[in-house]
Amino acid sequence: MNGPGLKDKYCIVGVGETEYSKNSGRTTQAMAVGAVRGAMNDAGLKPGDIDGMLSYHSGDSTTSLAVTTDLGVRLNFYMDCSGGGSSTEALVGLAMGAIEAGMCHTVAIFRSMNGYSQFRYGGTGARARAPVTGNAVLRIPYGFMSPAQSFAFTFMRHMMEYGTTSSQVAHARVAHSKHASQNPKALLKKRFTVQDVLNSRWITKPLHLLDCCLETDNATCIIVTSVERARNLQQRPVFIMGVAGRVSKPRADMHYVHGPITRVAGYYAAPIVFGNAGIEPKDVDLTGSYDAFTFTTMLMLESYGFCQMGEGGDYVSGGIIELGGKRPNNTSGGQLCEGYTHGMNLVIENVRQLRGLADDYCPQWQAGVHTYDYSEGHCRQVKDAEISMNLGWGTPATSSALILRR
Amino acid sequence: MAEYQYKGMEIIVPDNDREHQGYFEAARERRLVVQRCSDCGKLRWEPGTACPWCTSLTWEWHQVSGKGTIYSYQIVTHPIQPGFSDWVPYPVVLVELDEQRGEPTEDEALRIVANLLDDQNEPEKEENVAIGKRVEVVFVDASEDFTIPQFRLLDETPGAPLWQFQAT
Ligand SMILES: [Zn+2]
Repeated sequence: MNGPGLKDKYCIVGVGETEYSKNSGRTTQAMAVGAVRGAMNDAGLKPGDIDGMLSYHSGDSTTSLAVTTDLGVRLNFYMDCSGGGSSTEALVGLAMGAIEAGMCHTVAIFRSMNGYSQFRYGGTGARARAPVTGNAVLRIPYGFMSPAQSFAFTFMRHMMEYGTTSSQVAHARVAHSKHASQNPKALLKKRFTVQDVLNSRWITKPLHLLDCCLETDNATCIIVTSVERARNLQQRPVFIMGVAGRVSKPRADMHYVHGPITRVAGYYAAPIVFGNAGIEPKDVDLTGSYDAFTFTTMLMLESYGFCQMGEGGDYVSGGIIELGGKRPNNTSGGQLCEGYTHGMNLVIENVRQLRGLADDYCPQWQAGVHTYDYSEGHCRQVKDAEISMNLGWGTPATSSALILRR
Repeated sequence: MAEYQYKGMEIIVPDNDREHQGYFEAARERRLVVQRCSDCGKLRWEPGTACPWCTSLTWEWHQVSGKGTIYSYQIVTHPIQPGFSDWVPYPVVLVELDEQRGEPTEDEALRIVANLLDDQNEPEKEENVAIGKRVEVVFVDASEDFTIPQFRLLDETPGAPLWQFQAT
């Protein structure tokens, strides 16, 4: 267990994003500018108020410097990191560290990707045609490459060891699609049933198409600053209680060698993030558990201790993770339905929830007035949301986490 | 630098990557090898610079039996690389080798990714793939200079009950 870290000393003060689409028709630079500007407007910050920037990419995006020019911002600190899922929470921690070190005072964190129209993760475009080298020579020549293929061994083994079923994990799609139907921004607003998931075509067994997230063109941004500066800004600040960044398993592989392979990296990250925040899973009102796949949502909730190892199937299929349930998960629809952003949209959603300002179909949501009617096309605000948690997945072997409070 | 063509993919093993070069050279000679630490004697997989158990930098190639058990698997239906379009559905298996199972900790083993092939070197049928089945390495000559280790079912009684995926 780590110490108290920097509990409640830093806040998320602004969030923003561009449209979730399959064809943005814009460069990653143009989208990033839109997202950062959106977050600045949300916070009530002017160009001179931002002096730090962090971003992450997989060789598919723009840079902090390119974006600052378009924003009229001059930076005292920036870094563009390599990475996909589990980067957002880790960069929130780095932003706090950079401010704490006196290098800057307010940091914008962005991710911009044309994840459908340019660089697809699950698709057959440029990524699938690149030369194979390094340790990938032991994987890719076997048709073992995409995220679905890379993670499937872990999913399959979980089904074998614990009796987890396709129907159980399909409930993650059911829940997140329910939430997306209350979210005007969601790329996919249709509500799905368990049978819809089971009837969808196979990608790689045990994954159906509807077990897999969307691929999306989009940019997202969140702004972190100190509690002192946060108090004078436009939005009610959301406090950072605890963070864990890119916690890994003992080996760089997918943990296939150094088992058990069904124990994912959240197992190692949980004591750090809960230790920093000084709370337990039972204190968390809503979660954002990384849904690259239905299975990843389940594995993360399990490894962070929201249920016992092996009970994830029951947890995600028992109504707990749905709006109106005990601890709703991915209330925006998540990456299965709202859009795929490598996890930042899941943090943005929790910030809005803690403000009481979920941008749903309630006529007066902007005034914080919600009906809590969770039937299709209505409210998605969680009642009395005090504490949220994001559980970030990079691979089975890498995880980050973030605990926020209102 | 070694450059191989396989299923439409360009596989590049630079001269400075002696671990992967040695692995494929051994496969060419029909030997499945893993690294063995010269100091603590432990085998390791995947290939790497140092021993993960004692951090020693000295190692030698060690030939293993090539026999093992399917630890996990998947049946790929949606091909990603163009070269796999005429192979779907194909199994990818995680094979736990017989050597050093449960060492140095009980969850540890040498687990290798490969395809499960039939005796025509075509993808094995889904109904024949199950966790727990016994398998053995086969060396498939993909071109004049490139041989890829793959696995095939062994007619041996499994040590534990078999488990097969059902979509329920
Ligand atoms: Zn050693």
